[in-house]
Amino acid sequence: MNNFLLAFFFLSIFAWYLSFLATRLNRLHHRVETSWANLDGLLQRRAAVAIEIARSEISDPAASLLLTFAAHQAREATVRDRSQAETGLTGALGILIENSADTQNPLEQELLLELKDLTAKIKVAIAMHVESVTRTQMVRKKLFIRLFRLAGSAPEPVTYEFEGDVF
Amino acid sequence: MPLSKKRIGIVCPYGWDTPGGVKSHIGDLAEYLIAQGHTVSVLAPSSSDENLPSYVTSAGRPISIAYNGAVARLLFGPVAFSRVKSWIADGNFDVLHLHEPAIPSISLLACWAAEGPMVGTFHAASARKKIAFAITPFVEPVIEKLNARIAVSEAARETLRIHLDTDAMVVPNGIYADRFADASVDSRWSGNTMGFIGRFEEYRKGLSVLIEALPQILRRIPDIRILIAGPGDPESFLAKLEPHLRNRFTFLGTISESDKANFMASVGIYVAPNTGGESFGIILAEALAAGASVLASDIPAFDSLLGGGAYGTLFASENAADLADKAIALLEDPERRRAVSHKGHDYAQSFDWDVVAERIYDVYEMAMVGGRGVTLASDNRAWNRLLGRSNE
Repeated sequence: MNNFLLAFFFLSIFAWYLSFLATRLNRLHHRVETSWANLDGLLQRRAAVAIEIARSEISDPAASLLLTFAAHQAREATVRDRSQAETGLTGALGILIENSADTQNPLEQELLLELKDLTAKIKVAIAMHVESVTRTQMVRKKLFIRLFRLAGSAPEPVTYEFEGDVF
Repeated sequence: MPLSKKRIGIVCPYGWDTPGGVKSHIGDLAEYLIAQGHTVSVLAPSSSDENLPSYVTSAGRPISIAYNGAVARLLFGPVAFSRVKSWIADGNFDVLHLHEPAIPSISLLACWAAEGPMVGTFHAASARKKIAFAITPFVEPVIEKLNARIAVSEAARETLRIHLDTDAMVVPNGIYADRFADASVDSRWSGNTMGFIGRFEEYRKGLSVLIEALPQILRRIPDIRILIAGPGDPESFLAKLEPHLRNRFTFLGTISESDKANFMASVGIYVAPNTGGESFGIILAEALAAGASVLASDIPAFDSLLGGGAYGTLFASENAADLADKAIALLEDPERRRAVSHKGHDYAQSFDWDVVAERIYDVYEMAMVGGRGVTLASDNRAWNRLLGRSNE
């Protein structure tokens, strides 16, 4: 009888531990989703600003064409091509910023300021996303989580290549 | 930028009635956010409910514990835990901001109890004091819940990376730069003077290094005066000095905030010979904002705050001869002093609350994406839901 109670006790502790692990993993998956949603939103806004800049006087016709193309690509890219498209847009914007240091038009200054602000936020958002992904990957490697398939059918989260770029 | 007012909960781990860097950082941040129209509630341990600002809720009486090389006034335990939980349940917050959540404190308890958007700020920076993070296996799953981590300096970020294996973004501590920029020069303190602010009796503040350097400075600059502001007993301090050095010292005692700004704007050199134990060095940012010419030891926090020497002069820590050389060079070259302190003054604007608090708020916004708000973790547990104990 005592043995039975003891076994029951340990079993419930173990069940509690598994439920704890599952909650923990679920929370991490949620964090990955929200941090990606945040980053995605900021990237969309950056593409929109890029198109605005392309239409303005800041960029010469050639740069405008390049920028519009890169921005549209970033907006319409599928998940697989997203990374390359964002890298392209980062590059196009980088060239533009370098060449447009002295604009006087207040509207254009505002656009550039908004771009600068967005770039800073994107850096933070990337850091948050990368952190949550690496943390989730680490926890998913735990023995009990693999053994009891606590990750369920949730796909393994990944970071994108463009996130390693230095802005 | 869309103006939406949020409900923000901030947890301070240290006793509200003891002065300290973390506490004043939280107080300033809360007041800034309130001025922006947000609703802010700060939960902090406190000995009494009297004299608390209206935005602070007491979590109970703190206990003094020797922790992390100093006596910390912390609070934890079942009573504190239930207070933390009811604060979270009543607060209905959009985001929680937990300070120093990796040490056993109400910050850690709040992180444990809450579910939803959370941001953590890490202040401590120390490679040696392993004990601070000895509880890592217990802390890790809790810290994991934070949507974003902020470190106040590169040193704090490095500490976090070593001990908790997690990265953080660096957002510095804030100052009210305007208050220091408006400072005026007081003739009592100007001239060939070196100013020092702090508890001068503490070894880590490094005043002994300055004293060791003084004879060498005196030989070149006979009218040098050392002005010291801060709590402590000057008599017993002076008694230890050689007689011919004694009359070079002036003690001002503890000075008010506005006097502090004038003091920093007036002195020939503001000197910070600290030997260690600084995680940020907010006082140097304030001195720069007041337009002071800063001479500081090259400990990591000061080195990074002064941009490796671009905005002030660094000397080898605990090296009196080097301190003396640098001080003499500065005092004999007012032109250079002016040039560097002018640059430092502009640079100090990046520590202004207008910049720093906006950056912190940006992080809040990113953590709040999805907008679920903060709830109690226990409400979401399956068995509580089954028993109908959920609030929803």
